[in-house]
Amino acid sequence: MKLIVRAFVAVLVLTGAAATTQTSSASTQNKVVAARTSMLPIPSCAPDDPNACGMSQGR
Amino acid sequence: MGNLLAGLHLEYVEPILCGMMIFFLVRSKTARQFLFLFALLCVRLSCSLICLPLLYFCGRGIEKHLAYQTYFYVYWTSYALEAILSLLVIYSIFRLAMAPLKGLQTLGMLVFRWVAAISVAVAIGVAVTPHLSGIKFMVAMVTQLQQTSSILTLCLLLFVCFAIRPMGLSYQSRIFGVSLGLGIMATVSLVNAAWLTHSPNMYSTISLINGLAVGLTLLMWSAYFAFPEPKRRIIVLPTTSPFLRWNQISMALGDDPGYVAVGGIPPELFAPAELEVMRRASAKMTPALESPAAMHSLSA
Repeated sequence: MKLIVRAFVAVLVLTGAAATTQTSSASTQNKVVAARTSMLPIPSCAPDDPNACGMSQGR
Repeated sequence: MGNLLAGLHLEYVEPILCGMMIFFLVRSKTARQFLFLFALLCVRLSCSLICLPLLYFCGRGIEKHLAYQTYFYVYWTSYALEAILSLLVIYSIFRLAMAPLKGLQTLGMLVFRWVAAISVAVAIGVAVTPHLSGIKFMVAMVTQLQQTSSILTLCLLLFVCFAIRPMGLSYQSRIFGVSLGLGIMATVSLVNAAWLTHSPNMYSTISLINGLAVGLTLLMWSAYFAFPEPKRRIIVLPTTSPFLRWNQISMALGDDPGYVAVGGIPPELFAPAELEVMRRASAKMTPALESPAAMHSLSA
């Protein structure tokens, strides 16, 4: 049990670390690179997006 | 995949799970102990309650551009609040976890406050660039703050997981459960941030992963708070334990030192009674110092 929990935590941390390296390179391209961890869809476009970010297509 | 997510309607599940978690938190009478977690859940619930009608009525009664703009601002405001609350949750969890080791708790919290202050300064510093202004500045700043918060959360989870025994905790402890849930959300948040540049649409695979991670976390927290928590074990550490040593050292570090006046003291500072005591003491000492015979007799 202890080993499983520790292994899971280690995997989480390593995944997070790997993702951080990718985020750094993405943020230099001046794009929105943030997302709140939520079940709600992420509004990743600008507020004045002509397509409203595909909001009406979701339903 | 976007259609799959849309078909699943996971977003409608979140407020139910959030409400359930708040209920269990209140029922277990630990809402005060986990105050910032409680506040974080309330913010999430409020955000869902505002955003879900917008998603539902978009194009049905509310014009889609207006709906998206409102959704955008509510989402990012909630995100900013959550970034701040996440830092406070980590801080409170660390304080609770380290409660039996007061010295290390004080030292750790001091370090944490500095790290948090530097994180906020770095987040603002990164966002201040010539081409960013207004909403873009806010998004960049909150993004950076959330990423630092996620990294801090993962550090906390590592610490709680590997130092669980010296703190008298077990894997059934709520402190561990909350840390694990925060760790899962932090990892997903970091993966999100890396992924998001490739998904221009609101409904994408990462949204599905997001939803599943949040659902799993909220269910796990509910389980931790629904069942009674095992009591904290008696902490028995070997005398050679580094935890014990560092705790003793840290406790000594926090002591308030005493102060000694060495000069430049005006007589008005003393009360008349104090002056009288000093006068009598000096009157007693002067003859003893002046007559060596008296000294000899004393030593004899």
